Amino acid sequence: MIRMLLRVLGHQYAQAMRRTVILMTVTAIAEGLSYALLVPVLRALLGGAPADAGPWLIAFGAAVAVYAALRYTSDLSGMRVGTTLLRGMYHRLGEHLARLPIGWYSADRVGEVSVMASRGLLQTMGVAAHLLAPFVSALVTPLTIVAVILAFNWRLGLAALAAAPVVAVIQRWTARSMAATDAERHERDKEATGRVIEFLQAQPVLRAGGRTGERFTLLDDSLQELQRASRRTVLSALPGAVGLTLTVQAIFTAVLVLGAYLALGGNIGAAEVLTILVLAARCADPLLSLSDIGGKLRGARSELARLDEVLRTGPLPEPREPIQPERHDLEFASVTFRHGDRTVIDDLSLSVPQGQRLAVVGPSGAGKSTLLQLLARFYDVDSGGVRVGGVDVRAITTETLMAQIAIVFQDVYLFDGTIEENVRLGRSDAGEAEVRAAAAAARLDEVIERLPGGWAANVGEGGALLSGGERQRVSIARALLKNAPVVLLDEVTSALDPVNEAAVHEGIERLMAGRTVVMVAHRMRTVRRADRVVFLDGGRIVEEGRHDELLRRGGRYSDFWGISMTPVAGE
Amino acid sequence: MNATDLAEAREKSTPPDAGSAAGQSLAGLLRPYGWSFAAVVLLQVIGAVAGLAPLLAVVELGRALLAPGPIDHGHVWTVVIAGAVGLFVRLLFTAASSGLGHVLDGQVQLTFRRQLAARLGRVPVGWFSRRRTGELAKVVGEDVSAVHPFVAHTPGELVSAFAVPLVSLIYLFTIDWRLTLITLIPVVLAVSLVPLLMLPARLREQEEFDAAMGRIASSVVEFVQGIAVVKAFGGSERAHRTFLTAADDFVSVFSRWVRGMSVVAAGMQLALSPPFVLLVVLIGGAALITSGGMAPADLLPFLLLGLGLTAPVAALGHGFDDMQAARRAVGRIKEVLEVRSLPEPEQPVAPRGHRVELRDVRFGYDDDHEVLRGIDLVLEPGTVTAIVGPSGSGKSTLVQLLPRFFDPTHGSVVLGGADLREIDSRELYRMVSFVFQDVRLLRASVADNIALAIPDADRDEVIRAARLANIHDRIVELPRGYETVIGEDVRLSGGEAQRISIARALLADAPVLVLDEATAFADPQTEQAVRRALATPGGDRSILVIAHRLETVADADTVVVLENGKIVERGRPAELLAQNGEFAAFWRSHRSAAADETETRAGVLQGDEPR
Repeated sequence: MIRMLLRVLGHQYAQAMRRTVILMTVTAIAEGLSYALLVPVLRALLGGAPADAGPWLIAFGAAVAVYAALRYTSDLSGMRVGTTLLRGMYHRLGEHLARLPIGWYSADRVGEVSVMASRGLLQTMGVAAHLLAPFVSALVTPLTIVAVILAFNWRLGLAALAAAPVVAVIQRWTARSMAATDAERHERDKEATGRVIEFLQAQPVLRAGGRTGERFTLLDDSLQELQRASRRTVLSALPGAVGLTLTVQAIFTAVLVLGAYLALGGNIGAAEVLTILVLAARCADPLLSLSDIGGKLRGARSELARLDEVLRTGPLPEPREPIQPERHDLEFASVTFRHGDRTVIDDLSLSVPQGQRLAVVGPSGAGKSTLLQLLARFYDVDSGGVRVGGVDVRAITTETLMAQIAIVFQDVYLFDGTIEENVRLGRSDAGEAEVRAAAAAARLDEVIERLPGGWAANVGEGGALLSGGERQRVSIARALLKNAPVVLLDEVTSALDPVNEAAVHEGIERLMAGRTVVMVAHRMRTVRRADRVVFLDGGRIVEEGRHDELLRRGGRYSDFWGISMTPVAGE
Repeated sequence: MNATDLAEAREKSTPPDAGSAAGQSLAGLLRPYGWSFAAVVLLQVIGAVAGLAPLLAVVELGRALLAPGPIDHGHVWTVVIAGAVGLFVRLLFTAASSGLGHVLDGQVQLTFRRQLAARLGRVPVGWFSRRRTGELAKVVGEDVSAVHPFVAHTPGELVSAFAVPLVSLIYLFTIDWRLTLITLIPVVLAVSLVPLLMLPARLREQEEFDAAMGRIASSVVEFVQGIAVVKAFGGSERAHRTFLTAADDFVSVFSRWVRGMSVVAAGMQLALSPPFVLLVVLIGGAALITSGGMAPADLLPFLLLGLGLTAPVAALGHGFDDMQAARRAVGRIKEVLEVRSLPEPEQPVAPRGHRVELRDVRFGYDDDHEVLRGIDLVLEPGTVTAIVGPSGSGKSTLVQLLPRFFDPTHGSVVLGGADLREIDSRELYRMVSFVFQDVRLLRASVADNIALAIPDADRDEVIRAARLANIHDRIVELPRGYETVIGEDVRLSGGEAQRISIARALLADAPVLVLDEATAFADPQTEQAVRRALATPGGDRSILVIAHRLETVADADTVVVLENGKIVERGRPAELLAQNGEFAAFWRSHRSAAADETETRAGVLQGDEPR
C-alpha cells in the first residue's frame, strides 16, 4: 500500500512522504515509551508511598511534553506535506493525461477520469494521508508498549507479544480475501452504473416500448446483483474483523489471568501487575481499531490503484532524435493496426502525393476514421509505418506533427468560451484580420452576426449553444486559421441540414485548396472532387481509382452508391 | 495529519440546518427499516457497554490485591471470569450488529435505487435533455452508496460513542466526583477550541473551497472531452492550463484553509491524546492520594475508563464527516425523487382516430425564451408532412412534442380528438412512434432491441421489419444473428444503430410516425431505409418528417416552413414553389447544393452498364 502510494507520488514527493511517515513512527514510539514511566509512578501511588511519585510524575510530564512537541510537529508537517502533495499530484495527473494517446480515451473513460482528476484525487490523497497517522500509531504504539511490559516482566510480556504474529497473519489474510470480493463488487458497481446510464439514455425508447410503469428488468437485475455482491463483501469481511477482535481479547484475557495468577502466587507486586494491566488495556484499543482502519485503507487503496494504473499507462513514445519532414505527401506502408483483438487496418499500403485529395469511402466499421487517426498519430501502428513527407510519424515530435495537420472532426467539441477563443485555438498568435478572414471563409461570419454578443458570444459547454452546423463552421474556421499543409476531414457533413451543408462545403473547399487532403466521405458530392478514391472494407483497400472510373467498373464502389439510386418505387 | 482531519473540521462548520431538511426526508425513506435500525443500535450499545467489563475486572482485581489482609482467591477468579465473559459478549453483539447493519444497508440501497429508477422512468423525457446523464447516474450509483456509512456504521458507532462514556461517567462520579471533574479537563479544553473552527473567515473559506472544487471538476470534464481537439490543435496548453490553474487555485484555497485550521486542529488532537489525559488524571490523582482524600485503588478506574471519555468528541469529528457527506448525497437523491413526473390523466381519454392537431402551441425551455411561438398544424391521416427551416427554427422541438417529451407551455397537442395530456401514456406510445437522431440501443439482443415496443412480436415480424430497415443482412452476419448482444458481442456503427431504430419504429407500426431525416445521412443504406419507411404503404398513417432531402420535400403532401418558432409558409410543394417565397428560396439553395449529385447520378444512369 505504502509502496504504491510512494510510486503514485513519484520520486519528488516520495521523500517528503517518507519523512512524514518516519516522524509519525517516532511519535508513536515516544507515546509508547512515555508509558514506561507509569510503572514507577503507579508503584509509588498504589504502593502506599505517594510522596515518591513526585519526581516520576515530573519525568512523565516531561515525556508527555516531548510527545506533544513531536505530535504537533508531525501533525503540522503532515498538513503541509498534504497540500504540497495535492498540488504536485494535480500537476502530475494533468500533465500525464495530456500526454496519453487519444486512443486511450474511450467513451467510458471520460467519466472515470473526470471523477478521478477532481474529487477522486483529493479523496485518495486525503484518505491515504488521513488514515496513515492512525494506522502507524495503532501499529507502533502497542508494539512499544509490549516492549515496555517485556522489560518489566518477561512472562507477561511474552504473553502480550504472542498477539503480534496472530494479528499480522489475520491482517494479511483479511486483506487477501477482501481484495477478491472488493474487485467483484467493483465489477458489479460498474455493471450497474452502465445499466443506469443505459436506462437513462434510453428513456424515450423505453417509454415508447411502454416500459414506464414496470421495472426495467435489465437494470433491476444488475441492482440486485449489486446488493448480493455487497452482502458477500460483508460476509467475507466479518471473519477477519471477528478474528482480530477475538485474538486481541483472548490475549488480554490471558494477560489478565496470568497477572492474577502471578499476583496471587506473590511472584509480582500488586502495583506492578496493575500497571501492566493498565498498559495492556492501552494496547488493546488501538489494535481493535486496526480492522476499521484497515477497511478504510483498502477502500483508499482501490482508488489509489486506479490512479496508479492511469499514471503507469505510458504515453506514445517521443522520438529521441526528431526529424523535421520537408514535404507533405502522405504514405501508409503495409500498415496493420489492431484494436484489442480486432484487426482494424490490415496490411494496407497507400500514398497521397503532396497537394492531392484522397477520399476514403466504405461501409461503417471499415476503418476509415482509423486511417485519419493513424495519420495524426492518435495511435501507433502495430506493424508497417505511417509517413508524412517520407518521415515516419514516430520520428516526428508530436508538436511538429500536429503543426502539419488540421483536422475537422465529425463531432466538433468546442470549449466553453467565446467563439473567438475557439477559433483562435487554431493559431493563438493570429492577427485580428486573419481571424476575421478565416471566419468569413468558413461562412462563420453569418453565424456570428446572428448571435447576440457576436464574436464574444459564449458557446456553452461542449459548444452546446450552437447547432451542429454552426459548430462545424467554427471548426472549419479553426482549421483555416491553422493553415496546416495537411488536412484531414472526417465525415464532416454527415448530419447537417442542406443550408448548413452548403455553407460547410464552401468552407471546406477553401480549406482544401492547395493542401494535401484525406477525407472520409459518404456524400457523392465530396467524393467527386477527389483526385482519387479508395473503397475500404475490413481494413483493406477493395477498390481504388477515380470516382467515374470506379462507378463504371460496377464493383463494390458502384454498389455502395447504387443503393441510394435504386428508385424506392421499385420495392 | 492533515488534509482530511481538516475536511472533517470543515464539515463540522457547515451550518447545522443545511442538512436538516434532507435529514427529515431521509428519515421518511428509512422508516420501513425502523425496527431493524433499532436492533442494530441496541446490539451495538449492549456490546459496547459489555466491553467495559474487562476494565472493571482490572479495577476489582486492583481493589482485591491492594486491600489489606489476605487475598480472597475466589473473588479474584470470579472477577477475572466476569471480565472474560464481558469481552465475549462484546464480541458477539458488536459482530451481530455490524453484520445486521451491513445487510440492512444493502437492502436500503436497493430500495433507494429502485425508487430512483421508478421516478426517472416517469419524469418528462425532455427533463433529461437538460441534465447530464453522468450526474444522474452518479445519484443512482455513488450517492446511494454514500448513504452506506449512515446506515451501516454511524447509528451504532455514534450511539455507542455516547452511551459508553455516559455509563463510564456515571460510574466514575460514584467513585470520586473531584477526580471525575479533573478527568474531564482535556475534553473541555478540546471542546473550547471548537468555536475557533467556526469563525466567519473559516466559513467563507469553506465556500471558496466548494467553488474551487467545482471549477476543477468542470475544467477536467472539458479537458478530457475535448482531448482530441486539444491534441489536434496543439491547444493542449489552453485546456491544460485551465485545468492546472483551477487545480492551483483549489490547492491555494485548500492550503489557506488548512493553515487556518491546522493549529487549532492539532491542538484539539493533542488535548485528546491518551498521554495528555493520563498525565492530567495522574496529577489530579497524586494530589488527592497524597492529601489522603482518596484511596489509591480508586485511581485505577480513572486510568482505565478516563480515556474513553474523549470518545464523543473524536466521534463528532469522524461520524459527522460521513454524516454530512451522506446528507448531501441524500439531498441530491431527494431532489431527483421530487421531480414532478409528467402528470398521468386520472381519467384517460381514448383517442378516436389519429388525426393530430397542434393548436396555438407555444413552448420554451426557459421562461424568457420561446422556441415555438404559436404553431397551428394538422396532420391528416394518410399524409406526409415535411417540416423545413433553418437550424434553430424549432423543428426538433416541434416534433418532440408529439411523443410528449415535453408538454407545451401554451396551447395543446391533440391526438384523435384528445389532448395528449389526457391520453394514457401507454396508449400514446402505441399510437406515436419516432426515429430521432439520438439513437440509443440497449445492451440486449438485436431481436429484443427491435421488438422493444412490441415485446411479444414473433421472429418473423422482427425479421420483416429488419429487412425493411435494410439491416437484416448485416444482422445475419453477426456472430449470433438476432441473438447477438449489442455492446457485448458486437459494436454497431452509427448508421447500423440508426437502422435498428428504424426497424423498431417500423415494427411498432404506430399510426403516427415522427422522424428526423438527418438520421438518413449516416450512410447510403440508412438513407434508403428511411425512404422506405416513408414510402411504406401505411394506408392512413400520418407522418411528420423533418426533411433534408429535396425528394422528400417534393413527395410530401404538405410542406411547412418553420422560421424562428413560427410557421411562415405552408401548402403543397408545387403551390409554394409558385408563390416564390421562403420555400422557393430554400428550394433553390438546395437545388444548387444537390445539383452535383443529381448530375453524377444522371451520369451513372446513362452509363453503358444496364442497371
